[in-house]
Amino acid sequence: MSFIKAIRWMVWKDLITEMRSRETLVSMLFFALIVILVFSFSFSMDHQAARELLAGIIWVAFAFTGIIGLGKSFLAELHNDCLEYLQMSPAPKGAIYLGKMTANFLFMLLAEVVLFPLFIIFFNLDVVEEIWILLVVFLLATEGLAAVGTLFSALTVQIRAREVMLPVLLLPMVIPVMIAAVESTRGALNGEPFALYSQWFHLLGVFDLIFTVVSYWLFELILDT
Amino acid sequence: MIHRIIKQIQRYKGWVGAGAAVCLLTGTYLGLIASPPDYYQGEVVRIMYVHVPLAHTALLAYTVVFAGSIWYLWKRDRLIDNMCHAAAGLGFLFTGLALITGSIWAKPTWNTWWTWDPRLVSFAILFLILAGYLMLRTFLTEDPDRESRYAAVLAIVGFIDLPIIHFSVEWWRTLHQPLSISTRGVSISGELLLPLTIMSIGFHLLFAYMLMVRTQLLYLDELLQAKKGRLLTQMHLSRSQTSP
Repeated sequence: MSFIKAIRWMVWKDLITEMRSRETLVSMLFFALIVILVFSFSFSMDHQAARELLAGIIWVAFAFTGIIGLGKSFLAELHNDCLEYLQMSPAPKGAIYLGKMTANFLFMLLAEVVLFPLFIIFFNLDVVEEIWILLVVFLLATEGLAAVGTLFSALTVQIRAREVMLPVLLLPMVIPVMIAAVESTRGALNGEPFALYSQWFHLLGVFDLIFTVVSYWLFELILDT
Repeated sequence: MIHRIIKQIQRYKGWVGAGAAVCLLTGTYLGLIASPPDYYQGEVVRIMYVHVPLAHTALLAYTVVFAGSIWYLWKRDRLIDNMCHAAAGLGFLFTGLALITGSIWAKPTWNTWWTWDPRLVSFAILFLILAGYLMLRTFLTEDPDRESRYAAVLAIVGFIDLPIIHFSVEWWRTLHQPLSISTRGVSISGELLLPLTIMSIGFHLLFAYMLMVRTQLLYLDELLQAKKGRLLTQMHLSRSQTSP
């Protein structure tokens, strides 16, 4: 089985499982909805305060939602010993990682694309001009979260207290992604000129590149028996 | 070969410990009594004789964890893994102490316990990463091989991440406001440098000594567990043979 083909099969497998059960996306979306509501209650925001805080709220909601999805990613493989079959499969381990990562990336991105209009509605935003910039931020930051998150999802799935360990391990590691995503989202929402926050795009790009490569390389050690 | 080196090191362990004690005692005398107070900071500067060596040792400890993790993944030597585990525990301790002493120093000097300075944030995150590392190891104890492998993977990711975290926080702060206090401009006079150097040597020796003791302890504990397991299996087998 060729490398690209193995990746494609992994992604297809995850997508088809999700389409039949709808477990991951539904739980992600409802969790995110609750996070948004709790935030809007606890800050009781007027329009001005919302502008300042919103970028942070969006990314905290996205990160927590992503963790829900990432936690489910390898948990699903535990049922019926699927994980052992993945370990035994002749497909290259790197392809399994990239496939899983792509699937996680797609789920997270889909959740973000569904959730962002809710932010627009609830917080009365006006983002017609910056929507493409925001989309690039979402793409880059989600890739970073998925790159480290998929590795850590595999790392924590077979241990006790996995629900606690995934965020405990993941969140400190993705602090650069969070900072860069919040700063560039804030810049875009406030309508600042692109040059003022474009350097965060470089940081996101570098982080994505480094950690996709590092995780790809280390993933083999996780699936090793 | 590594086991022979370790044996040699174990033989001189006591000397390292004694050297640490001598250096730390001399350094404490020089730092607290013999050296003058700093021109700008006054008596507060004396906590620096503990704080700076602690911070350096913490970084050294994490470097040991990182290098040891790569070595473990390459050679799969149990002893190296025990060393990583020991170094991570010590790094956690030293990072925590460095944060506490830094906070105590910052209150009279900067008039705040905490500020979002890149170095402070990086150290706090290092503390969290090491805490996660140790938690991961405690949750995985039933499978020693997997425990070591997973811990090594985590240590490598964290070590690569740390400079990026530091860099991003630095960027983040400088964009919002210039750093309020920079210690880079302040040079150290010789009278203050001597106790700092001696304390630094002392803390590094102390770290080396504690690392040896702790590695030995973890290694022996692992041997004991293995022996216990074998003994139980033997008992079980002999009992099942005698019973009809």
